[in-house]
Amino acid sequence: MPTTEPQQLACPSRSASFARGIKLGLPIFLGYVPVGAAFGVVARSLGFTPFQAIVCSATALAGAGQLIALQLIGSGASVLAVVATTAVVNLRYVLFGAAMSPHVTGVRLPAQAFLAFTLTDETFAVNIDDHRRSLANAWSMTGVGTIAWMGWVLGTAVGASAAGAIGDPTRFGVQFAMPAMFTALLVAQAEDRRHVVAGLAAAAIAVALMLLLPDPWYLIAAPMIAATVATVVTR
Amino acid sequence: MSATALWAVIAGMAIANFAIRFPSLAILSRAELPGWLRRWLSFIPVSAMATLVVGGVLRPDGRWLPPLTSPYLWASLITGLVYWRFRSFLGATLAGVIAFVALRAALG
Repeated sequence: MPTTEPQQLACPSRSASFARGIKLGLPIFLGYVPVGAAFGVVARSLGFTPFQAIVCSATALAGAGQLIALQLIGSGASVLAVVATTAVVNLRYVLFGAAMSPHVTGVRLPAQAFLAFTLTDETFAVNIDDHRRSLANAWSMTGVGTIAWMGWVLGTAVGASAAGAIGDPTRFGVQFAMPAMFTALLVAQAEDRRHVVAGLAAAAIAVALMLLLPDPWYLIAAPMIAATVATVVTR
Repeated sequence: MSATALWAVIAGMAIANFAIRFPSLAILSRAELPGWLRRWLSFIPVSAMATLVVGGVLRPDGRWLPPLTSPYLWASLITGLVYWRFRSFLGATLAGVIAFVALRAALG
C-alpha cells in the first residue's frame, strides 16, 4: 500500500476546511466586533472620518497597535512616532510568523501573504492549537483569518458610524474583551508541564521587564527570554 | 492631526504591519530549521499569551492596579477557570467580560 494513502484519506475538502476555520474563528469575530467598535468610536473622536477608521482597520488589522496609535495621536505625536510605536508594539508578530512557519511549508506564497496579513494574537493561538491536534491546513487557517478580519472591520464600521449613539464603550466592559481572549488562549496553550513552565516563566519575566524596560519592549523580550529558559530547562 | 497626516499614519501602519508579519513566516517556511530552534519556537505561543495576559491584566492602559481589588485580575482568573473546565473559547471570553462588568461594579 502506498504510504500517502492515509494522508489523502485524512485530507478534507477545501470548502470543508475553510468552513471549519470560519467556525473556529467565530469566537474571535465576536470578540473583535466590540473592540473594533471601541476603536471606531475613539478614532472618530480624534478626527478620523468613518472611512478612514474602516480603511485603517481593514489594512493594518493591528488590534492593540491601533488603539495605542490613537492614544499617541491624541497626545499630539508625529506621524513617524505613531507608526514606529505601533511597529514596536507589534514586533512580536516576527516571532509569531517564525513559529507559524513550520506549519505553512507547503503553502503557496500568495496564501502565505494572506495568512501573514491576518496574523493576530488570536488567529495565531487558535491556529497553533488546531495544529497541535493535527487538524489545521492552509484553508482552515484562511477561514480563521477571514472571519477575524471581518469581525475587526465590521466592529470598526459600527463604532465609527454610530459613535454618537454608542457613547463610552467602556461601560460595556469592552476593555476586558482582549484580556479575556488572551487568558482563554493562554490556558489552551498550556497543554503539558513544559508549556506550563514556559508560561509561568514568561509571566514572571514580563512583570520584571515591565518595571525595567520602557514600553512596549517587554511584549517581545519576555516571550523570547521565557522560550529560551524553557528550551534549556526542559531539555 | 490633519486629514493628510491621518492618511500617512494609516498607510504607514498598513505597510509596517505587513512588513513585520510576512518575512519571517515566508522565509523560515522555506528553510530547514534546526531542532533546537523548532523547540524554541514551540514555546513562543504560550510565552506570548502569558506576557499579553500579564500586561493587559496587571497594568491596563499603562497603569498598575492593586491586584487584590482589581476586576481585571479576578475576571481573568474566572475566564481561565471557565476555559479550563469547559474548553469553550467563546464561553470563557463571554464569562470573563460579564464577570469583569460585575466585579467592576462590586469593587468600585
